[in-house]
Amino acid sequence: MINASHSPVLCDIFTHASSTPGKIALVAGEARISYAQLQERILRVAAFLQSQGIKPGDRILLAANKEADFIYLYFAAHLLGVVNVVVDSSSPNERLDYIRKVTSPAIALGDGIILPGLTCISFHDVLAADDVSAVPIHVPQVSTDSVADVMFTTGTTGAPKGVCLSHANIAGSARNTNGFIGTDASDVEALALPLSHSFGLGRLRCVLMAGATLVLVSNFANLKSFFHVLETERVTGFGMVPAVWQYIKRFSGRRIARFADQLRYIEMGSAALSVDDKRLLMELFPTTRLCMHYGLTEASRAMFCEFHACADNLDTVGRPASDQVQAIVLDEAGRQLPDGEDGEICVRGNMVTRSYFLDADNQDAFHGDWFRTGDWGHRDARGFFYLTGRKKELINIGGEKVSPATIEQAIRSLGITDCACVAIPDPKGVLGEVPKAYLQRGDNQPAIERVKQGLIGILPPHEIPVEWEWIDKIPRTASGKIQRLKLQQ
Amino acid sequence: MLNVDLAVVTDQLSSGDIPEWDSVGNLAIISTIEQELDVEFPLEDLFDLTSVQSIVDEVIMLKND
Repeated sequence: MINASHSPVLCDIFTHASSTPGKIALVAGEARISYAQLQERILRVAAFLQSQGIKPGDRILLAANKEADFIYLYFAAHLLGVVNVVVDSSSPNERLDYIRKVTSPAIALGDGIILPGLTCISFHDVLAADDVSAVPIHVPQVSTDSVADVMFTTGTTGAPKGVCLSHANIAGSARNTNGFIGTDASDVEALALPLSHSFGLGRLRCVLMAGATLVLVSNFANLKSFFHVLETERVTGFGMVPAVWQYIKRFSGRRIARFADQLRYIEMGSAALSVDDKRLLMELFPTTRLCMHYGLTEASRAMFCEFHACADNLDTVGRPASDQVQAIVLDEAGRQLPDGEDGEICVRGNMVTRSYFLDADNQDAFHGDWFRTGDWGHRDARGFFYLTGRKKELINIGGEKVSPATIEQAIRSLGITDCACVAIPDPKGVLGEVPKAYLQRGDNQPAIERVKQGLIGILPPHEIPVEWEWIDKIPRTASGKIQRLKLQQ
Repeated sequence: MLNVDLAVVTDQLSSGDIPEWDSVGNLAIISTIEQELDVEFPLEDLFDLTSVQSIVDEVIMLKND
């Protein structure tokens, strides 16, 4: 067997390929790929990457398209000690170009990435290359602490921040999660979450580490089709963000309850879910493990709360995910606060990043070895944590964190004197938070409808503010920083 | 609305067929059609509005009601 000891996730996949070679690992459309085939294709793609001169430590820009080919490439890179810079190929070109400039990838892989000067090979061409299978793969000496993935998350200033996750981090997170939820080899999971985000990519690793079966589903838009998959594949678990739950409720009523007996678990996360919705889920799924995580890309699945077990305190975000994770509440100076007192929630453990890609982003990211989440809250005497506010001013739109600075920059580019964006609750009750824009009155005061039209094509539709208000002056500190919290109040 | 090439949008196109037509995109499509065409899709019908054709048929039906 190939020695992939630097990657505990790969080790587990290769072990399944050896112990249960015929077991179906992936279902992608009509294709059913066994663990033995998964291993064979990972090795084949690794040989291809090697043939392209990709070396350990090199970075590749990898389009997280929901295809089996992405999965082969993702793990082939891990095998070779190559760093995956995982991106959503439908991101605006400015974002992709920024990520390219910061990470200097050797190559881009996947459809949809068109950046001048960067060679991009489609998944199809990677898999079609059949002159490499005989090439022996050289697995380098790589530490489990070396970087496996760089995931770009939204920075408060608008520029994306690259989060470096080691092989140990991603495996640690998967083990903590499987340990809490109970996913095992008997499970069949439908994955409709995007793979470009920490949640979806994490589910993929959890399922394959457990030796279970992963069914790739494009997304949740077509619930008829999603329910068909639940039925025909006898799905036992899936993950969703709270905005998807609102969508399921609105578009399908209580139809999903007919799968209550077969669903062993549902993982939720990335945004808050109301207590009423938690109660409704408990009613519809009386025996399903309803597990909601709290975490960030930097500290994936730091805490968990299972609704049935937390029936008397459903407003908690839970307790640390495993004995490998610790959480405390610190004040601004980094001193630990007693239970019940609000401060910044800080975490450390096997899944916590050691650093951001750019040194500048590491400033103030940690108190010692405690990662600062930017979330405000407290712990109770039983060790449960509760969120009470957010220090970072990001807007959580349906689980996707968006920097107000990005939206403001787009609005200013249309000639508006000054503006500020804040989060408000989604009036339709679906996305959790949506942006509201405050515009400063000035010489240029176009109709709001014209500003909205101008933003189409500059911003994704969900980032275009839902509410607008003209005000005399955008409040700023003496140093010029926008005081968004003042506007929010 | 979804920033996709119009050539992609055929009567047969279904939600989920293209990455842009995800759940958030579907909400945007439904609410924009309701606003622009002054119709209200009955909640019990939303589950079946899974393709361009089915949405067109529903709008025609609501307009003729």
